Amino acid sequence: MTNQAYVAADGGWIQPEIFSDPALYEVEKTKVFGRSWLFLGHTSQLPKPGSFLRTFMGEESVLVTRDRSGDVRAHLNACRHRGFEICQEDRGMAHRFQCRYHGWTYGTDGTLIGVPGEESIYYREIDKRQWGLIPVRVETYKGLIFGNFDSDAPCLIDYLGEAAWYLDILLDRREGGSELLGPHRWRIATNWKVVAENHCGDEYHIGFAHGSVFPPDLGAMRATPVPHAREIRPGLGHGFGANVYPDEMGPEEWLSIGLGGEFPAHIREYELDAFKETANRLGDQRARIGLIHGAIWPNLGMVPIVNSIRAIQPRGVGQVEMWSYCLVDRDAPPEVKAWMTARSIATFGPAGSFEQDDANNWSAVTRSSAGTEARKHRLNIQMGLGHEERSERLPGELGLTASEINQRGFYRRWAQDMFGGAA
Amino acid sequence: MDPALFTQLEVQQWLVAEARLLDARRYDLWLQLLDPGVRYRVPDRSYRLQDDVRDFATWSVDRELEGEAGLALIDEDHAGLQLRIGRLRTTMGWAEMPASMSRRLVGNVVVDGAEDAEDCLSVVSTLFLAKVRREERVLFTAERRDRLVQTKDGYRLRARYVVLDDVVLPSENLSLLF
Repeated sequence: MTNQAYVAADGGWIQPEIFSDPALYEVEKTKVFGRSWLFLGHTSQLPKPGSFLRTFMGEESVLVTRDRSGDVRAHLNACRHRGFEICQEDRGMAHRFQCRYHGWTYGTDGTLIGVPGEESIYYREIDKRQWGLIPVRVETYKGLIFGNFDSDAPCLIDYLGEAAWYLDILLDRREGGSELLGPHRWRIATNWKVVAENHCGDEYHIGFAHGSVFPPDLGAMRATPVPHAREIRPGLGHGFGANVYPDEMGPEEWLSIGLGGEFPAHIREYELDAFKETANRLGDQRARIGLIHGAIWPNLGMVPIVNSIRAIQPRGVGQVEMWSYCLVDRDAPPEVKAWMTARSIATFGPAGSFEQDDANNWSAVTRSSAGTEARKHRLNIQMGLGHEERSERLPGELGLTASEINQRGFYRRWAQDMFGGAA
Repeated sequence: MDPALFTQLEVQQWLVAEARLLDARRYDLWLQLLDPGVRYRVPDRSYRLQDDVRDFATWSVDRELEGEAGLALIDEDHAGLQLRIGRLRTTMGWAEMPASMSRRLVGNVVVDGAEDAEDCLSVVSTLFLAKVRREERVLFTAERRDRLVQTKDGYRLRARYVVLDDVVLPSENLSLLF
């Protein structure tokens, strides 16, 4: 297979079958999900030794633990005897994991510690050191836990590249860092890329697809670039959209614009404090960035403006499970956390006023992409092509809102991972 | 007639009428069944490690729900429910354009005869909700824990707590009310 048939990022098009071809999905399992840093969770979900959670890398079940020495570990959630999924609970505390099929038992660090009949029916001939759980490479970035199946993959910080500078705005804006709640999980009949590219770069749909939520005049943002807002392409397939407030605008002023609308007094006060602290921690420029949406290649989506982050877990070529979490400042007062999570649920939960309509779009796109006639014709990703800009103050390349600069970055990365070379 | 039996029948009829309004998509009329102080919650479910399986008390759904706080799937007050329904009238509430077909079946109704401190009856019922839209044909099953207050115009819903029997929701969204 070659990339020419599917994607021409700089030509401004993609082919519909990238959303529906089972053969491409089989390649993605190894070339994308088999060697990318995939989101596993957050260190706040594993508060003490023995804490565990069960999640997925691609379609493979993974057990994430905090071991006895306090390190975060991840292993394939499959017994080495017959492959039974040893942990079937979503989260909890356990000091050992015993397979329910034949009783092989593992420690929180993945070591095989018990085999029934080791002395008698195995004649003491089994070398338990050779049969621990299959380890997954784990690295964390300011609380976010990522796993990688590929021992040759670059380290996480290199993989994130310039995106890390922007992630700090979510993860490190206050002294206490962040905390993750959730996830909500639900099934959508869509290809994972349809969802991921939306999070990576789609400001264009906001005024229209979410027209039920915005006042009608905000629909004008479809045609008119939003002042102070930019699509940001940090490279490597990652993407963000952000409000970037100019120096002459104070935080009081910009707290009143953007998706947030009118904040209640206690939230306003909290955000003004946060602005000062962020300016001290990360510098004035980053305190002036309000991230709206974003994505880390391949399948971690974000809607930071309402504290939502989500792993888009593929389940075959035409199906995903959305695992949608709430990310809040860990040390925020309970009433602030409650307000932020309530807003997050009401907008981007599975019953949320935004999310309901997004799912409806993604499943429809996926369905049409399978059509025999539809697959003969390209889909357009040319918005803003050739108008990318740079700024001394913001890492990466910039586009207007709206621009498809980030979709082009996303599909370029896809083609590079899948076929090598440039797209 | 035995007053308890009368109340039981009255509440059952109210629940059936409510379900039929939702199936008929008369959300405007459904809103009129809400008490202004209504709270409507749908907790998230997950597979938890039970603390002691030998004690059946730890098997209870209540124990599961009172465990570590998850994120509610829905948590709305009256204003929130009005917004949710108002969204459908904006001409851009795409998730219900075209509208889902739905069928609700309410059963296993248990009415706690004693009114609580706020003059509410506690009513537990089982709901089967079938949703059909485009390629989706899904069945939600749930236990609903309601509190109903008697007014001169009949019962009004003061609180609803919906225990869905799903960990991974089977639908692309929760665009219908339980």
